[in-house]
Amino acid sequence: MSITKEVSIIASAALPICEQWAIRRCRLQSDSAGPRLCITSGIHGNELIGQRIIFMISHCIQTHPEYFSGTLDLYPMLNPLGLDLNERMVPSHTWLDMNRAFPGQKDGTPLETMCFQILNDLSGADLVLDIHASTTEKNELYEVRMNHARHDDLIPKAASLCPDIIWVYPDRPSFDSSLTGALSRLGTDAFILEADERSMNPDGISKRIFTGILTKMHEMGMWSDSGITLTVVEDIPVIYSGKNIERITCENPGIFIPESRIGSVINMGDSLGYIISALEGIILENVLSPCNGLVFTQRSYSAVYPGTLLARIRKEAV
Amino acid sequence: MKKEVLMTIPSYFREPMNILSFRFGKGEKSCAIVGALRGDEIQQLYVCARLVSFLRDVEKDNGLQPGKTVTVIPTAIGASMNTGTRLWAPENMDLNRRFPGDPSGSTTERIANALLEKVRSYQYGIQLTSFYQPGSFIPHVRMMNTGHQNPDLGLEFGLPYVYVREPRTADQSTLNYNWQLAGTQAYSLYAGKTTEIDENAADQTLRAIIRFLNSRGIIRSEFTPGQYSSIITNHDLTTVSASSAGLFRRVKLAGAHVRKGEQLAFIINPLDGSIREVLKTPVTGMLFFVQDGPFITEHNVVFNILAAKK
Repeated sequence: MSITKEVSIIASAALPICEQWAIRRCRLQSDSAGPRLCITSGIHGNELIGQRIIFMISHCIQTHPEYFSGTLDLYPMLNPLGLDLNERMVPSHTWLDMNRAFPGQKDGTPLETMCFQILNDLSGADLVLDIHASTTEKNELYEVRMNHARHDDLIPKAASLCPDIIWVYPDRPSFDSSLTGALSRLGTDAFILEADERSMNPDGISKRIFTGILTKMHEMGMWSDSGITLTVVEDIPVIYSGKNIERITCENPGIFIPESRIGSVINMGDSLGYIISALEGIILENVLSPCNGLVFTQRSYSAVYPGTLLARIRKEAV
Repeated sequence: MKKEVLMTIPSYFREPMNILSFRFGKGEKSCAIVGALRGDEIQQLYVCARLVSFLRDVEKDNGLQPGKTVTVIPTAIGASMNTGTRLWAPENMDLNRRFPGDPSGSTTERIANALLEKVRSYQYGIQLTSFYQPGSFIPHVRMMNTGHQNPDLGLEFGLPYVYVREPRTADQSTLNYNWQLAGTQAYSLYAGKTTEIDENAADQTLRAIIRFLNSRGIIRSEFTPGQYSSIITNHDLTTVSASSAGLFRRVKLAGAHVRKGEQLAFIINPLDGSIREVLKTPVTGMLFFVQDGPFITEHNVVFNILAAKK
C-alpha cells in the first residue's frame, strides 16, 4: 500500500506587500479507501502543541503507510500571522479571535472569508479534531470538548481519543461561533482537544494525544496497527457546564501561588493555593476547595484579578 | 447630577478601576448612554464626557423633565484606556464579546454583567461604538434585527439613516444585542473616529443624542432640527470588496453619489506604483461606507453602496 502527499492552500487573502495570508493543508491519501479525518491546530497563534502532535501523526503514517487507509487532512496552523507575534488573536485593525468568527461569510471581511473557506474545506469530513493548548497561565488535563446539542451521539465517539475528561459545552454564542461549534451545526462531527503544553511534560502530553488519535483512527478503520494504540476506557469522566463543574475564582487582586493539584481528587477544604501581597507581606486569600472532586484545570503562578479563574473541579456526586 | 460607582475592580499594584456612571434627574429610568467598552475608543469617551457636561447644564436650567432619569457611563474599561490596549489585557478579551456576562465569572464577564444589570431596566439605550475596520460612514443609527428592535423610534435621532442589520453569531455576545433582548430599545451610534478625536463627528453625534432625548420627552433643551431619516437593511446595501491587496487611493468619499460603472478607488502596488485594481461601483447610489486605511487586504470590504431606487 502507498500514500500520496499533497500540500495545498485552502484559504488565502493577499496582504499588501508581496505576501499571501495562506492556510495550508497537507493531505495524506491512501490508495485504499476509508474515512476522512481532519486535524486542525493553531487557530490561536500562540498555541503550539498541535505542531508537535500533527508532526508525529504525519511522520508515523509516512513511515508506515501499510497501516493507513483513507484520507488524513492536516491543517497545522490556522493563524499563521498570530504565530509570528506569539499572539492568540488574528493581527488586524481590531485583533479578532478567529475562534469567534465562524462560520464566516463568503463575501465578508478577510477574516470572515478565510473562516468561510476553512469551514467549507472541513465540512463533510467524517471527523474534525481541533487541537488547542489552553491559555498561558492555565494548566489543563487532556480534555475532549464538544457541544451540547449532539452530545448523546458524540460522547461514545470521543472515548477512543482516550482523554482524561470529556467536557460538554453549553450551546451559547461563544461556542456556536467557534470552529467546532460551526462544524457541529453543519452536521460534521467535531471535537476540541485541549491540552496544556506549558507546565506538564510536553513530550508526555504530545505522545498521549498522538496515541489517542491513532487509537481513534484504529476505531475508524484508518489505522490497522494495534501495536501502539491505547486501551479504550469506557467510563471516562464526563462534565457538563453548569452541572457538575465547580469554577473557583479569586476575589482579591494579587499573586497566585498554586498548590500543585492538577489531576488530583481533592476534598472540600483542601487548599488550592494562596493569593499574596508582596508589598504588605501577607496572605490575602487562602483558596480552598468548596467541594470534593477532580481538579482538571488549575492556574499557574501569575498575577490575578477578582474573577480570575483559579481552578475547575469536577464535582463528585453527593 | 449624581456620580455613582457602578463597579470597582481592584488591582494588585495599580489603582482600583472604578466604573463611573453619571445620573441626571429622578424617576423612571428613561435613557442610558454607554461609551467606551474598548481601551482605544477615545472618541466614544469624548462624546460621553461632552454629554455629561451638557446634561449638567440642562439640569441646572431645570431642563430634565419631571420623573425622568438619564444615565451616562463614559467608559467601562478605564484601566485599559490608560495603558492604550483595546482589549482587557489581563484576559486578552474583548469586553464587547462578553455579554450578558456572569456575576461569578471572569473579570470581563463580571464587568459585562454589572454593566448590563445597571442599564437593562432603562427604556432606551444608546451605545457609542467603534467599527472593526477603519472607515467613514454616512451618519446613521443602527440596531440588530433581534425581533425586539424598534427602527421607527430610531428616526428621532434625526440622522439620515436607521440601519437594521441581521446579527451574525458572534454579535450575540455584544452589549447591543443583549440589551435589546433585555427589553431596552437599544441603538448604536458610530461616532466617526475611534482612536482620535474628531470634533465634527462628535458634534454630530452629540446633536443626535440631544435631539432624541428631547423628542422622547426626557429633557427640554435647545436642539437643532434633524434630517429626514430613512430605514434601511442589509438588503439595501451593495458591497464592493477588494480582489487584490496594496496601497489604497480613494477617488470618492462617503456620501458621494455614484453612477453604475464609475471609478471609486485604486489599489496600487506598494513597491512600484502600478495599478493592481480599479474599484468601480456595480450600482448607482450613494457611498454609505468607505474604507479609509492606507492598506487594503484582499477581501476587505472597501465600500458599501446604498442603491438608488427607481
